[in-house]
Amino acid sequence: MSPDEIIADLTAKGLLEPEQAQAIGEYERTRPFSLHYELRTLLYLGITMLSGGLGVLLYQHLDDIGHGVIIAGLAAIMTACFWYAFRHRRPFTWGLSTAPSVLPDYILLLGCLTFLTLEGYLQVQYGLFGSRYGLALILPAVLFFFLAYRFDHRGVLSMAITALASWVGVSIAPVSAFTYNDFSSVDLSGSAVLLGLLLLGAGLASEQLDRKKHFAFTYISLGGNLALLAATAALFDYNHSVLAPFAAGLLILAISTFLIWYARRTHSYLFLLMGVVYGYMVVTYAFFVLLDTSSSDAFGLAMLYFPLSTVGVVLLFINIKKILRLA
Amino acid sequence: MSIKAYNPDWAYFAAVQKLAAHWQKQALITPVQHEAIKAAHPLGFAQPHLFIRIGIFIFTLVGCFSCSGFVSLIFYDGLQDSSFAVAGLLCGLGSLFVLEMAIRGSQLYHSGADNALLYFTLGCFVFVIFYVIGESTPPPYSYHFSLGNPYVTLALLPMAGLLVAATVRYADRWVAALAYLTLLTLLTSLLLQVELGRVLLPFAVMLASAAAYFLLQRLAQRPDYLYYKPCLDLVKALALGTFYLGGNYLVVREGNALLSDNPFLPVSPQIPLAALFYLFTAGIPLLYIYVGLRRPHRLWLITGLLTLAFSLYTLRFYRSVLPPEIAATLGGAFLVGLTFWAFRYLRTPRYGLTAAAPDDDQQQLFNIESLIVAQTAHAPTPQAPSFEFGGGSSGGGGAEGSY
Repeated sequence: MSPDEIIADLTAKGLLEPEQAQAIGEYERTRPFSLHYELRTLLYLGITMLSGGLGVLLYQHLDDIGHGVIIAGLAAIMTACFWYAFRHRRPFTWGLSTAPSVLPDYILLLGCLTFLTLEGYLQVQYGLFGSRYGLALILPAVLFFFLAYRFDHRGVLSMAITALASWVGVSIAPVSAFTYNDFSSVDLSGSAVLLGLLLLGAGLASEQLDRKKHFAFTYISLGGNLALLAATAALFDYNHSVLAPFAAGLLILAISTFLIWYARRTHSYLFLLMGVVYGYMVVTYAFFVLLDTSSSDAFGLAMLYFPLSTVGVVLLFINIKKILRLA
Repeated sequence: MSIKAYNPDWAYFAAVQKLAAHWQKQALITPVQHEAIKAAHPLGFAQPHLFIRIGIFIFTLVGCFSCSGFVSLIFYDGLQDSSFAVAGLLCGLGSLFVLEMAIRGSQLYHSGADNALLYFTLGCFVFVIFYVIGESTPPPYSYHFSLGNPYVTLALLPMAGLLVAATVRYADRWVAALAYLTLLTLLTSLLLQVELGRVLLPFAVMLASAAAYFLLQRLAQRPDYLYYKPCLDLVKALALGTFYLGGNYLVVREGNALLSDNPFLPVSPQIPLAALFYLFTAGIPLLYIYVGLRRPHRLWLITGLLTLAFSLYTLRFYRSVLPPEIAATLGGAFLVGLTFWAFRYLRTPRYGLTAAAPDDDQQQLFNIESLIVAQTAHAPTPQAPSFEFGGGSSGGGGAEGSY
C-alpha cells in the first residue's frame, strides 16, 4: 500500500484536511531518495581496503620502493587526512556536536589508520622505540583519545580503547575478544578484568559528569564485554587464574546487575540483554555445581531446571517494562 | 478461524503511525492531528525493543529444546525407529499449540517468542518428514543425500508445502525466504532427475527467479499487502540474488563440475556458452544498480552492489588481474574517491537522489558503528620476530596513565 492510499484513507476518515492531503501527497512524491547509508558503507569499506592494502604493499615491496619514499608517502597521506579533518573541525564541546558532513569524520579515521601503519613501519625498520614496546603501543592510544575528544568521534574513541587494550595485552574487538584472547594460557584475566572495570567506570563517569555523555555506550559495551568475558574464563578455569571462581561468579553477577541498572536508566537494551545472559549463565553454572549429584532427585531437578528457568527469563523480558518500571 | 495468525489491521496501523510520525517531524501535520491519527489507529500489540526480542528469542529456543529433551526421554523405548518420529511429531504439535495460544493470549506480534516457537515447530515437522522418508528409502538410495536422489525430492515436496502454508499464516520473513529457497531446491532436484537437466539448470533457475519476482509484484497489489510486506521484500531480494547466481559464471562452472560424473578434478572444466555467462556476470549487477538508482529502489541498489562484489570475486577467482594488495589499494582509493565525489555532488538533491541522512534517529547507529570500527579498523602488522606486543606482565595497574 503506497503513501497515496494511506493519505486518501486518512482524508476519508476526516483525519487530514483535503488541502493538507494534497501538500503531503506532493511532499511524498518529490521526497528525494537518500543514498546516505549506502555511501557511508562504501566509504568505510574503501578506507579499510585502502589502508589494509597500503599496509601489506609496504612490507611486500620494501626493496623495490625505498624506505624514504614509503615514509614520505605515508606521512603525506596522514598529514593530508589530519589537515582535512582539522580544517573542517567544529568548536570543542563536552556535548554532542553534530557534523554538517560525514566526510571529515571518515577522513579522520583514514588518518588514524595511516598513523598506525606508519608507526608500525618505523618501529620495524628503524626500531624507533627500541625495545620499549609499551611506548609504541600507548602512543596511538593517547593520540586517538585526544582526537576522539577533540573531534567528537566515537569510531576513533573505539580505536583508542582497542589500542589501550593491546597495550595491556588483550584484544577487545567484539568478535576477536571471543576468538583471540586465550585467557587460560597466560594469566590475562586479571588485567583484562581491571581494564574492563576501568572502562565501565569511564563510561559511567562520562554519563554522570556530562562529559561526552554519548561516549558512554562505546566505553560500557567494550569494557563490559571484556570484563565479563575475562571473568567467565576465570569462572570456568580453576587452576590458572588469579581470580577465584567464586569471586569471578560474584563479579559477573555484580557487573550484570550494573548493566541492567544502567540499561534501565538509559534505555540501552543491549546492556539489558548482556546483563541477563551473563547473569543467567552464572546462576545456571552455580546450580549445577551446587546440585548434589548423588541424590536421586538430582536428575529430575536438572531436567526441570531449563524449562522452568527459560520460561522465567522469557516472562521477565516480556514484562521488563513493568518490572523495571520503565516509562 | 482466520487464515492469518495475527490481527491484519496491525500492519496497516503500524504503517500509518510511522508515516504520521514522519509528517509531524516535517511539520506537515499538527501535533493535535498526530494524536488523533494515533488514537484512530491503535496498536494492539507491544513489540519490544530489538535487543529484548533477541533475548526472548534465544531463551524461548533454549526452553523449546530442553522441553523436547524431556519429551524424547519419555518416549524413548529402546532404539525403535518410530520413537524418534513420534517424539518429533509430539514436540512439533506441542509447540504449535503453545504458539497459537501465546499469539491469542498475549499480544505477540513478531516479538521473539512467537518467532522461536514457529521455527521450532517447523524444525520438528521438517525433521519428521526427512526422518520418515529417510527410513523408508530402499537400499541404493538410502543414506545418500544428494539432489539427484529422488527420495530427497520426495521429502522436499511436503517441506515446501509446509513452509508456504506457514508463511501464509504467520507472515514470517525468514520462513518465507526458506520456503522460496526450498522451492528452488525442489526445482533443481526435479531437473536433475532427467538427462538434460544439468545443462538447462542455470536457465531454469533464472527463469524461475524472474517468474517469482513478477508473481511477487502481482501479490503486492493485494489489499493485505502490508501484512506480508517483510516477506515480500526479502523474497524479492532473494529472487534478484538467485536470478544473478543462476547466470553467474563461477556458480555455473563450479556447480557443473560438482554435478558431473567426475567431481574431483583439480580444475573444473570449461562450460558451454561461456561467453553468455561472462555477459550475465558482468551485466546483471550493473543493470541492478542502474535500475536501483533510476527508479529509485533500495532493494535493487543493494542487491546490485552485493552482486557486483561477487562478480569481482568471480573475475579474481579465474584470472589474477592484480596482486591482492594492489587491487585492495586501488579499489579502496577508487571507492573513497567515488563516495567523496558523490557526497559533494548530491549535497543538493539531483535526479531525486540525495546524500543527506534520512531524519530518523542516528545515535544508535553511531553507537553500533563504533563497535564495527573496533572490530575492523586495524593496521596490518608485520610478522617480525623482534616486534612483540607487551604481555600481560606489563600489567593493568598502570592503565590510569591515559586518563
